Amino acid sequence: MDVSQYLEIFIDESGEHLQTLSDCIMELENEPDNKDVINEIFRAAHSLKGMAGTMGFKRMQHVTHDMENVFQEVRGDKIPVDSQMIDLLFKCLDAIEGYLDNIKASSSEGEEDNEVIIKELNSFIEKANGKKADDAAPEPAKEESAKEDTAKAAGDDEKKYLQVELSDKEREQLAAAKNGGLHIYGMTVVIQKECLLKAARAFLVFRAVEEFGEILVYRPSSQDIEDEKFELDFSFYMSSSEELEKIQTAAKNVSEIEQVFAEELSDFGQNEEKETKEETKPAAQGAPAEPPAKQAENKKSASAPAAKKPAAGKPATSRTIRVDIEKLDTLMNQVSELIIAKNSLVSIASTEEGSFNNQGFHDQIEYLERITTSLHESVMKARMVPIESVVNKFPRMIRDLSRTLNKKMDLVMTGEETELDRTVVDQIGDPLQHLLRNSADHGLEDTEKRIERGKSETGHIFLNAFQEGNNVVIKVGDDGNGIDTEAVKGKAIDRGIITAEQAETMSQKEIVNLLFLPSFSMAKKITDISGRGVGLDVVKSNIEQLGGDVEVKTSLGEGTTFTVRLPLTLAIIQALMVEVRDEKYAIALASISNIESVPVTDIKYVEAKEVIHLRGSVIPLIRLDRILDMEPIEDERDNLTVVIVQRGDSQIGLVVDNLMGQQEVVIKSLGKYINGNKIISGATILGDGEVALILDTNTLM
Amino acid sequence: MEAAKTEVSIKGSTKGNGKANTQKEIKQYIVIRIGGERYGIDIRYVDNIVRMQKITRVPKAQVYYKGIINLRGEIVPVMSIRIKMGLEDDVFTNASRIIILKIEERGTIGVIVDEVCEVVNLSEDEIEANTMNGSRLKDSFITGIGKSGDQLISLFEISAIVDERESM
Repeated sequence: MDVSQYLEIFIDESGEHLQTLSDCIMELENEPDNKDVINEIFRAAHSLKGMAGTMGFKRMQHVTHDMENVFQEVRGDKIPVDSQMIDLLFKCLDAIEGYLDNIKASSSEGEEDNEVIIKELNSFIEKANGKKADDAAPEPAKEESAKEDTAKAAGDDEKKYLQVELSDKEREQLAAAKNGGLHIYGMTVVIQKECLLKAARAFLVFRAVEEFGEILVYRPSSQDIEDEKFELDFSFYMSSSEELEKIQTAAKNVSEIEQVFAEELSDFGQNEEKETKEETKPAAQGAPAEPPAKQAENKKSASAPAAKKPAAGKPATSRTIRVDIEKLDTLMNQVSELIIAKNSLVSIASTEEGSFNNQGFHDQIEYLERITTSLHESVMKARMVPIESVVNKFPRMIRDLSRTLNKKMDLVMTGEETELDRTVVDQIGDPLQHLLRNSADHGLEDTEKRIERGKSETGHIFLNAFQEGNNVVIKVGDDGNGIDTEAVKGKAIDRGIITAEQAETMSQKEIVNLLFLPSFSMAKKITDISGRGVGLDVVKSNIEQLGGDVEVKTSLGEGTTFTVRLPLTLAIIQALMVEVRDEKYAIALASISNIESVPVTDIKYVEAKEVIHLRGSVIPLIRLDRILDMEPIEDERDNLTVVIVQRGDSQIGLVVDNLMGQQEVVIKSLGKYINGNKIISGATILGDGEVALILDTNTLM
Repeated sequence: MEAAKTEVSIKGSTKGNGKANTQKEIKQYIVIRIGGERYGIDIRYVDNIVRMQKITRVPKAQVYYKGIINLRGEIVPVMSIRIKMGLEDDVFTNASRIIILKIEERGTIGVIVDEVCEVVNLSEDEIEANTMNGSRLKDSFITGIGKSGDQLISLFEISAIVDERESM
């Protein structure tokens, strides 16, 4: 059978297990005696092994198997956890990740056997035990047999295979197999309650057991199982020449399987009798009615142990389903359409007052407006995922960097639960990683220098994420050396990026911004970690592609902070509609700080550029009509309407002719044909069907 | 929105025809007029023909892009083929139309024409490849000349029209 359709589940789940392992091993490094953590690691390694085995990735299975063995020993207090072991475990994770990457790329695990790691793992067991690694085996076996005991104790109720009603044909088949000298086994498999893809699990179970024999009878039918038309359990009869225990273990190794009840049906004729008994019941119609009732009862008893398991220390997983992002995109598009339709109703209602001057009509419009807004919010939220999935690999990275750079450092993260649009989260990983590496490599000083400067020996790196209005802000920084602006200046002059005269007049901030220019690397020597010239410019362009921006604050000797600002959503924004001449433009509300009416006489000139002085700050003015290539007009009004937009610390004032009000706008791309257009970030369709352009004020700064 | 209702939908009716005729190597062209000349556009690319409507200017765009329109909720860029070919600017009349072309991978684009005349069937032997050496700018957009009855139709090379090439 083809397992490729389950490859995606496998990849996703393996990734999750790997993350759990990585987190736990980090924790273990700090608290080597924490039993809970050790158990968690054992569990994750075990699941990983089972999954790899089912999918036929033997090498991956091998590594995880040996890793599990080591933990078996740790669990039994036979070997202590030391740093050597932690290092080895991380190597294991890297190896497994390597397999996983191969699988992602080519659906095969590759050729690397990672024998060195396996040898080391085994040497751990041998060293600590003086015994062979294989000794680890009896214990899980014991555990399993214990489970079986409980299974038996649970009684025949759970052995649903005893209740299967066989058709004549099936009975014949079973009899034929039996006469052929094969064992007939009845099995009932109970899937964990939390399992989302029961059909996939059932498939994996079938695949596992079919290695040993042939499944003759399915209950419910194989078609129903495939269509997931069953509750938590399913039963089957199979014929095999192998021992029952082997088959049962294989079935149990499929992850998310709660229980496997099985026994050899030496005499299924007995079953037959039972069947016939039932059949001979007076009310022939009563027979089919009874089993469902029984089943319902069984369901209860089957789900009871399932419910117990999460309580046994495993953190309860939130109920989620995986949804193809394309489906959400479609949903989002439909919501967009709805909002456009709503906007057009609103505009009809406001323009044709006479014919629609009806209170009820306006109430309904308002109602519609509320619904579409909250619908939009819900869809948006459905696309939101916590940045956790991206940032939780960083502690491990910093730990490794700490080793390779031989600096003591500590990463503190806050706000991992901050949520962002999925597409943004997927792409924010690399830029953040780069900034962190930057902090570790260039930011933090050597230990000696830190002591010399009276700082703590351990360097501090932080990553703080939080929501701020319609943006998510992620601050990445360190308490290290800060950026030496003089050195930057010197280098920029050396490279011919600026002239010495230019350098004289540049502000601190402008100099720091030079770092974001392509191919400007400040690393004195090229290291593994950074300094290859692909640097901050890539970070910046990546973030800008997501509609965000990045800022630096630095103070020599005290540290550097990069502030990354990202929009919460990409598709629909609240905007201020403005008019410039007879053209309509939308400005994202989130970027607007205030709106002023400025008398023409208040305009001052700095370096021949128009500025206004507003509550202590000097704000450059931009005439939108000029920047948007409109014919100049003569009649200057006495008062200008100025929309002040903000990005980080800088502000500019946009001169517009008219304010039209606030509106929810759906951002549409201009397509691939029109280009050379950074000021316009997209277009939107207004209520009356007219098209308005969306100004990207960031490009004006 | 009214313009949308008066669109001439030709796609559905002609597609079947085109397929049935493939063995005879007959291609259908929409004949349009720009200035005094008649041009043909391969009907495979034509998604729609719409009446002139308000075009929203896009600042800083290439000169031959007049702007964008709202085509049933889609934003579609509109090009002036006159400017692209180095002719004088469009004068919109009642006969002016926007031909909406759908081009694989690059998306939908509108092209302004002075008038849409008719649909012609041209078999392969009625088409003569463009032998002109491209000394005139507009010839570089022409793939061949079609003969329909006694009239000559210059056939557009769609990819050349859409490609990024300055006419100046």
